[in-house]
Amino acid sequence: MFKLLKEVFRTGNATVRYPFAPLPTSPNFRGKPQYDPERCIACAACTIACPANALSMKTDVAAGKRTWEICFGRCVFCGRCEEVCPTHAIALSPEYELAVLDRADLYQTAEFSLAACRICDTPFAPRKEIDYVVALLINAGLPEAVAEQRRAMLEVCPACKRRDEVSRESGFSGLHHIGMTP
Amino acid sequence: MSVTPESRRGTAYVAALRQKMPNSVLDESWQTAEQATITVTREALPEAVETLYYGHDGWMSVVVGSDERLLNGNFAVYYVLSMEGVEKSYVVLRAEVPPQTMEFPSVTVKVPAAVWGERELRDMFGLRPVGLPDERRLVLPDDWPDDLYPLRKDAMDYRERPQITTETETYKFINAAKCETTEVPLGPLHITSDEPGHFRLFVDGEDIIDADYRLFYVHRGMEKLAETRMGYNDVTFLADRICGICGFTHSVAYASSVENALGIQAPPRAASIRTILLEVERLHSHLLNLGLACHFVGFDTGFMHFFRVREKSMELAEVLTGSRKTYALNLIGGVRRDILAEQSARTRQLIGELREEVTRLLDILLGTPNMRQRLEGVGHLDKKVARDYSPVGPTVRASGHRRDVRIDHPYAGYAGTPVGQHIMDSGDVLSRVLVRSKEFFDSIAIIEHCLDNAPAGPVLVEGFTYTPHRFALGYTEAPRGEDIHWSMLGDNQKLHRWRCRAASYNNWPSLRYMLRGNTVSDAPLIVASIDPCYSCTDRVTVVDVRKRNTSIIPYKEMERYCRERTNSPLK
Repeated sequence: MFKLLKEVFRTGNATVRYPFAPLPTSPNFRGKPQYDPERCIACAACTIACPANALSMKTDVAAGKRTWEICFGRCVFCGRCEEVCPTHAIALSPEYELAVLDRADLYQTAEFSLAACRICDTPFAPRKEIDYVVALLINAGLPEAVAEQRRAMLEVCPACKRRDEVSRESGFSGLHHIGMTP
Repeated sequence: MSVTPESRRGTAYVAALRQKMPNSVLDESWQTAEQATITVTREALPEAVETLYYGHDGWMSVVVGSDERLLNGNFAVYYVLSMEGVEKSYVVLRAEVPPQTMEFPSVTVKVPAAVWGERELRDMFGLRPVGLPDERRLVLPDDWPDDLYPLRKDAMDYRERPQITTETETYKFINAAKCETTEVPLGPLHITSDEPGHFRLFVDGEDIIDADYRLFYVHRGMEKLAETRMGYNDVTFLADRICGICGFTHSVAYASSVENALGIQAPPRAASIRTILLEVERLHSHLLNLGLACHFVGFDTGFMHFFRVREKSMELAEVLTGSRKTYALNLIGGVRRDILAEQSARTRQLIGELREEVTRLLDILLGTPNMRQRLEGVGHLDKKVARDYSPVGPTVRASGHRRDVRIDHPYAGYAGTPVGQHIMDSGDVLSRVLVRSKEFFDSIAIIEHCLDNAPAGPVLVEGFTYTPHRFALGYTEAPRGEDIHWSMLGDNQKLHRWRCRAASYNNWPSLRYMLRGNTVSDAPLIVASIDPCYSCTDRVTVVDVRKRNTSIIPYKEMERYCRERTNSPLK
């Protein structure tokens, strides 16, 4: 009994002031993913890496839009998205207060417009992703004019590229129509 | 991996089996140097398991069913035995069951430890162990259709739900009492606990004559989920979620099962980091259980202090992994984060504080006369019963058996660490508490050892490919005992079969024997002593058979009675 009382006095007040004062977290704490749509190119790498399916990507071809979505209710804060993101558009933050009153508030979305294929005119890839690839080419040392010329090829959907590959033997290449010689 | 015959451990067991039953052994394959899979004829299966279990110090780890009709035309059953005789190894006995008959002779008749495994085979695959004494459902709910077996490869899509077949409970509880008894149902569930269960105590006055229980109310279908939807690395994050307390140990077990199957090895530094985090998990799990032991005997000041100190172990996890639980750190082939110098320094500081504070608290706890009085001689698990049912962890160590995966089958970076083995013979609640309290300080020593001796180098191997249909075991010693995972790789970047078995699965079947002969007021204490989630005993319905009336007692009241032991709610 005496030992217990000693322990009680030694401890003093163990109660923390949270939520009236912030509770510090360790450096590298893995909390709510912070998303920057400006940096995002909608490449979908994070949605493939996410083990919990918290991240998803929906493509609406008719509207020419791709929607990126995160559900904080499903997130397990593993940070796989952060590891695979090529543009550092998503990173885990120290924020841990995620409770919401409305379920809809658990979702965050971003919309991206799709570039249409130069041949068949079907929207197929995010415009930002194509811009990113062109920028990568310039960064790799390709003259700007050449890189911009390559853009024409980048803006052809995989289906048309395949068709072109097949029809090239018959002497016709769709890519000629858009000024590209493959 | 090419396992050289010279490096193999456990060859004596295989030789003994071949000698005793020369015509029954069909095939022998080695997954790693200490894992052998022996295919035997269906008819010889019970005798083969019995020979290894009782004749060669084998313990039942898990029973795995696998739908291999697309591979070899049959279903297969795997009885995984942890061999703990002179040579320590795992021997897996495999038998094929043809889909035409779906029948094989039951092992439970000879080795009672197989009972849950075989009941689950019935539920999940529709396989019929002929002669199985207990044919009740184990996993599936009462309203599940009779002819739908979830883990068959041609079962209904996992996103669909079958039509429910009944509105009433059809489960029969078994009462072995000779005299007239009163039925006391405890449970069924508390939604926040990891293993809600329903207990039916058969009592005469205040004495428990027999007990039966039913679990799996919140079976989450994780194995099916992993097999149908998730990639290999995604499953490590799912394995983390098997338990809210000891998740990391499951993801290590899963990752190492795949590593073993592929013959790759996590780098030594990753193995050390895994060891450190596994022990951090043990620290907070044991502190939780010690705290609850205080709570159940009415020593709430002690409970509060253990939980206050436990916060340091949570901080330790946060410092090392970035999460208050040691979640999401494993990948197949290693870990995702290194331990840096400043984290290492903070870890040393925190475990120093923990060692000092817990020493003081344990001194207070064990010096409390009420504690010994309530715990001594209560919930006795007989050494022989323990041998028959293969319980694991502190539960079996408190009943006089030397079983600890860290020592018997060193995994991760445990080889060479100061793992002590604390064995008690009395098998009561007190000895389970004492075993845990001693292990706590071992964990601290192991963490210090690993921080001092972790080799430098990479923490993850990459660039390997997955070979279809290779399989192996992964195992860890979770805070509650052996966790074992059996994984078979598939041909579509998904697991063909994943069987994960948590420690408590092996401890539950022997609980019945711990409850017998005790009083109702000790029931929550005994259940908590095997360290499942204590919310399992959420609400109590009292059915008085003699008076033919039913009354419901809220869990709070039951808990109060356990703590105060006055004003029995049964009167």
